[in-house]
Amino acid sequence: MNMNVFMDKLLEAAKAAGIETAEIYYRSGENFGTRARDGEVDSYEVSSSAGLSLRGVVNGRMGCASTEAFDDEAVAQLIEGVKESAALVESETQDEIFAGEKEYPALEQTTSDIGEVSAEKKLALCLELEKLAREGDSRVTKADAMLSTWKTTLRLKNSHGLDLTDESSGCRVYASAIAVDGESTADGSDHFRGHNVADIDVKKIAEGAVQDAIGQLHGEPVKTGEYRVILDRHAMTALLRTFSGIFSAENAQQNMSLLAGKEGTVIASEIVTLMDDPLYPGGFGSRPFDAEGSASRTKAVIDKGVLTTLLHSRKTAKKQGVQPTGNANRMGYSGTVRVGPTNMFIQPGEKSLEELMAEMGEGLVITGFGGLHAGANPVSGDFSLLSNGYTVEGGKRGRAVERVTLAGNFYEVLKNVRAIGSDLEMPPAGVDSPSVDIGTLKVSGK
Amino acid sequence: MLDQNVAREVLAEAVRTGGDFAEIFMENRVNHSLLMRSKHLETVDSGRNHGAGVRVFSGTNAIYVYTNDTSREGLLNCARQAAAAVRGGKGCIVVPFKPMNAARPEEIVLLPTEVKAAVKAEKLRAAEAAARAVSPEIVQVTVNYIDSVQDVLICNTEGTFVTDRRVWSRISCSAVASNGTEVQTGADNPGAMMGFELFDKRVDPEKVGKTAATQAVTMLHAPVCPAGVMPVVIDNGFGGVIFHEACGHSLEATSVAVGRSEFCGKLGQRVAQDCVTVYDDGTIVNEWGSLHVDDEGTPTTKLLLIENGILRNYMIDKLGSRRMNMPVTGSGRRQSYEYAPTSRMRNTFIAPGTDDEAEMIATMGDGLYAKKMGGGSVNPTTGEFNFAVNEGYLVRDGKIVHPVRGASLIGRGSEVLRKIDRVGKDLQCAQGMCGSISGSVPTDVGQPMIRVSDITVGGR
Repeated sequence: MNMNVFMDKLLEAAKAAGIETAEIYYRSGENFGTRARDGEVDSYEVSSSAGLSLRGVVNGRMGCASTEAFDDEAVAQLIEGVKESAALVESETQDEIFAGEKEYPALEQTTSDIGEVSAEKKLALCLELEKLAREGDSRVTKADAMLSTWKTTLRLKNSHGLDLTDESSGCRVYASAIAVDGESTADGSDHFRGHNVADIDVKKIAEGAVQDAIGQLHGEPVKTGEYRVILDRHAMTALLRTFSGIFSAENAQQNMSLLAGKEGTVIASEIVTLMDDPLYPGGFGSRPFDAEGSASRTKAVIDKGVLTTLLHSRKTAKKQGVQPTGNANRMGYSGTVRVGPTNMFIQPGEKSLEELMAEMGEGLVITGFGGLHAGANPVSGDFSLLSNGYTVEGGKRGRAVERVTLAGNFYEVLKNVRAIGSDLEMPPAGVDSPSVDIGTLKVSGK
Repeated sequence: MLDQNVAREVLAEAVRTGGDFAEIFMENRVNHSLLMRSKHLETVDSGRNHGAGVRVFSGTNAIYVYTNDTSREGLLNCARQAAAAVRGGKGCIVVPFKPMNAARPEEIVLLPTEVKAAVKAEKLRAAEAAARAVSPEIVQVTVNYIDSVQDVLICNTEGTFVTDRRVWSRISCSAVASNGTEVQTGADNPGAMMGFELFDKRVDPEKVGKTAATQAVTMLHAPVCPAGVMPVVIDNGFGGVIFHEACGHSLEATSVAVGRSEFCGKLGQRVAQDCVTVYDDGTIVNEWGSLHVDDEGTPTTKLLLIENGILRNYMIDKLGSRRMNMPVTGSGRRQSYEYAPTSRMRNTFIAPGTDDEAEMIATMGDGLYAKKMGGGSVNPTTGEFNFAVNEGYLVRDGKIVHPVRGASLIGRGSEVLRKIDRVGKDLQCAQGMCGSISGSVPTDVGQPMIRVSDITVGGR
């Protein structure tokens, strides 16, 4: 069934079934992904997919249901699902479907060649990248390269007459290299994200992956003890992403974040400013409206150490008596609305990573973590993570470090930030950070 | 689900340009989920996944194209796109289908699609109330319930044309305990490949709530775990995650076939002490990680991975089979039609041994008793792993002294495997979702109580 016809039919059927107000959230995508390994095409995937969810209010309660099939059976299943759901859910506030804003911010247009570049060209680039990485150094024994592109369409349409559309596209390239020297094996990686295949610099990515791998060869644990620690941009980004849920008002209201009621208070070092910027030109999380139709707006979540706001959906904002922040998110086309960041990043400082190291003198730079989903408790903020990186001796890069555990608490890390680097990767995508000097932490090694 | 003539036409189109194997995976899946938080039933959701993927091999190259459009034209379009990406090959014919229905409806008593959401909600309420009752320090309880009925059709150019129905049900409870300044969490997540009879046969929701809350409160009152290298006794059930992470992933063709596992070329060699025997068993009736046929249409097996310390088998899917020149083991799995399948674990466990559980702790000296493990991850290339101890106890001179929090176990799979020096008698399995390149699939981990003679414990 044609999608416009299906949507109209669905909204009509919802009305006829006694659903007072209804909303359709539709997402479709066209994706391409390929992976090269050891000179061969390891995988090659093409897809076109679509799904939608229906939310509807009955007696002040919101029900939801979703589908990837668009036939008459799906209409009946969605209506029945929404009604059963609305009859059971419990809420402290009256649920409602947002009618829409008077106007929405205009996003700066980014040009993209994703729709124009042929599959052959993308495949050739991926193979070239793998070859460059594999042949980048005599110690590199194996390499992998991945290249993916996507085009996504979102549509939000409701029975109040609102009908919003947002389209986005991008590409991501990733290379990894395995280096072997004597008894030591290490793997390294580098990546690129952008809006144009033409901007992909395979030489640079291959070189980055090779250098990362070689730099980690002959890694050894350091002695257990307290160390001054810098998290490089990759490690700090991974840590911030893991704990980004603490900034959700939804989590705070559910006692799942220790930031509940901390608005207006100091929660971080005064040099920390944390942005959530859905209007950033070319940002991969940029969008004119959020998953409930609220207008997007830019805000500092932490402004010079002070928590100014948590991230809100309409429901969490209503509960707390504040304005929505445009942070309603959904997984894919799901009918369940959650709260999350758009383009969240720590505002960069002036100094390069090398300058941060020189200031620190002696300590460790951590470049990567293992087991973030296991070794970090997103509620308490505690983490104990398998880490690798290198020592800093006399302000300069020393030897490679691996198989150590870095333990601490994220809330304390925010407060202990001593310096912030300038190396933030832009445009933003989800959650990002530059390198950060986080003071002294416990490191377990040998 | 799919007409055989259409299937034949699509497969023929897919191998037209030289592909030597083609496969269609089609699914229709109905999911329900309920979420209770802060004593409120917050979400009651239902959804239908529907789509198909066409996969083509040419030698060891694989191409995968998927869509929601499962009409004849939609599938032919996938086949054409896949065929266009094949760069030469010897081609193949479409062997006449041997239709088979692998579904075993007798294994399911109560289809979750036949049970009202209001009845399901009662199970969540029971778990929530039991968790709250454990202590006033419990400040938050989240209960999740999911069920899923997945109908699949898998057909290929080798004559396979198999339909199957998989039914899963699971309840998860996580509890947060707080003393005002600090918080700790606990969780329990049992599930099975069965319908709503899960709650009559296997799972008491009150026990689930109580287990989660007790763990959270215990950890709230625990001092942090000291760091260092020490002997560790790991309890049965979810303790099996140590093998899953440290070794299981490295025995999948996904790593082995491409030379990215520390167990490459080790078949027939000693990788553990005599006391260690390990299976990956997809055939256990109603078990969370079981399947009748895998997602490539191959019947599942009980696969001996390690026999008395000797490596015997790898887990191998069709593409891995081509790359390794070894037979498939019924281990090809995928989250959905949105993923090409690859070799995955099913129910993976260390078989019962002969050692006495009390002796294991009494003779360990100073160390850690890991009663409940959390999740973890591994780098298959280097074998380095890391996983969390959700409930741990400090052992001094062979005696359990007090609980400790924030511990994690880190090491290298092959080394830790060799250091398992005791295997107890009481095997238990626990359920998890395992993530890899073909998505997230249900798997069991399991073991009796075991002892690792020394391992790096990360603490604070």
